[in-house]
Amino acid sequence: MSDDFLSRLREEPRPEFKDRLESRLHEIDAREGERRSAPSPYRRFAPAFAGAALAAALAFAFTLEPVRAAAREFLDLFRVKRFAAVPVDPARLERLAKGGLDFKSLVADQVQVVVAPQPPEAVDSPEAGAVRAGITAQLPAVLPARTELAEAKLSPAASFRVQVDTGKLEALALAAGADEIEIPAFWNGATIDVEVPPVLGVRYARKTDAAGAALPREDSFVLLQSAIPQVELPEGFDLATLGRLGLRLAGMSAIEAESFSRAIDWRSTLLVPVPVQGGTFREVEVSGHKGLLVTFRPPAPADASAPRPRAQGLVLWLTDDKVMALQGPGSSEGIELLEMAQSIR
Amino acid sequence: MGGVRILEWFAPAVPLEGVDWEAVYREEMPRVFNYFRYRGLERATAEDLTSATFEKAWRARERYRKDRAAVSTWLLAIGRNVAIDHFRRSRPEVPLVEDTATDEETPETAALRAGQSRRLTELMRALPERERELLALKYGADATNRAIATLTGLSESNVGTILHRTVVSLRSRWDEGGPQ
Repeated sequence: MSDDFLSRLREEPRPEFKDRLESRLHEIDAREGERRSAPSPYRRFAPAFAGAALAAALAFAFTLEPVRAAAREFLDLFRVKRFAAVPVDPARLERLAKGGLDFKSLVADQVQVVVAPQPPEAVDSPEAGAVRAGITAQLPAVLPARTELAEAKLSPAASFRVQVDTGKLEALALAAGADEIEIPAFWNGATIDVEVPPVLGVRYARKTDAAGAALPREDSFVLLQSAIPQVELPEGFDLATLGRLGLRLAGMSAIEAESFSRAIDWRSTLLVPVPVQGGTFREVEVSGHKGLLVTFRPPAPADASAPRPRAQGLVLWLTDDKVMALQGPGSSEGIELLEMAQSIR
Repeated sequence: MGGVRILEWFAPAVPLEGVDWEAVYREEMPRVFNYFRYRGLERATAEDLTSATFEKAWRARERYRKDRAAVSTWLLAIGRNVAIDHFRRSRPEVPLVEDTATDEETPETAALRAGQSRRLTELMRALPERERELLALKYGADATNRAIATLTGLSESNVGTILHRTVVSLRSRWDEGGPQ
């Protein structure tokens, strides 16, 4: 039974209508962007600068705990030298949030924005962006098939001032059931100056597959690089205590957190959370530097007719003077990502 | 603490809900538009309702969850609500295609197409509401039977059975009208 007679009447919308509606959607973005003072979700570089946000967050995470004191002679230097993965149960965090734990207010109430983070801006080339970021751009010599440089953007520097509130940290510990962790009273009121360095983001797009079919934007590869944040810590500031609190919030038992805490050097290790469901991680070597490969396979959509999202991978590594992140589609082996990362010079 | 902070940023960095909304607009807008056309609405009204659908969807994008439905299904769910509101207010039953030639058509081809569409609209108008809705989703919006089942609450096999029966009946009446 042919049903051609039913489908042959489909028609293309008029181009002028298509353009007019698209403009209206852009207007909605502009209005909402102003209202929220936040970058619009209708942006061409969304996956890339979700990644930039990651890099900024990494930088921010380095600096949450430490305090910059006025007298340098009292300071220790915290410089990240390696990444370590820590399994995190997002459902646990969600449960804690539902139970009344408001992570955002616990942090945001103590944060004063000194230099507001700006949306990433387009730059003429990766090299031009690198000059403005104060770094030397390193780019991949090898790209996956049919992949080419699509755009480069620069996320400007930002800075924050955080005031430690031991009462709130104790509330966090309580909510996490981590009553074994004692928050030193002398931390209260300590001021932390956080500086997030500029981040250069370069997106490489694979526009079509082998059969010439268009690919979704998720198939882009995004390379982020920025100077390594250095953090000055006041003498005696115990990072391990805060670290253990983070591990307990993430879902580790007191014993696991204690054991994990003893195994790593908190002054040089940045923890990267990996969701327990669908996430994998392993240590890798990128051009002689130790790095971390994290992959995540999103759960199958409830609507079985919907295509299953592709696995995404993230390689993090440090060169002598930069923190690098490469994000893109990939299998749990992350072979394509790793090959690309290895070719970065 | 550091781990928790990173998690907040890490989640969006791996675009679990990552949707290229520009591509969605390009790909899905014609399907939503044709859904309204197959509901028997004239072009101007279909354009208005397509606009209303996308404007609603645009404002609600951040609430879209990929694990719950394909974006095409989500958009059609919004479109169906827009259609329900429209039909509640008024119930115009007009030809599916106006007598206007597109750039690629000769006046003769346009007239033939308009004639066919009028006939089809008349045939569809005689169908019960549920069958008309299923046809609009299947042939206007090019939705899969599974997506239609999700949207309508019918089982997938039920959708297939109803569509088959409806198409057989329409085909028979279509053929009775002579060569096309």
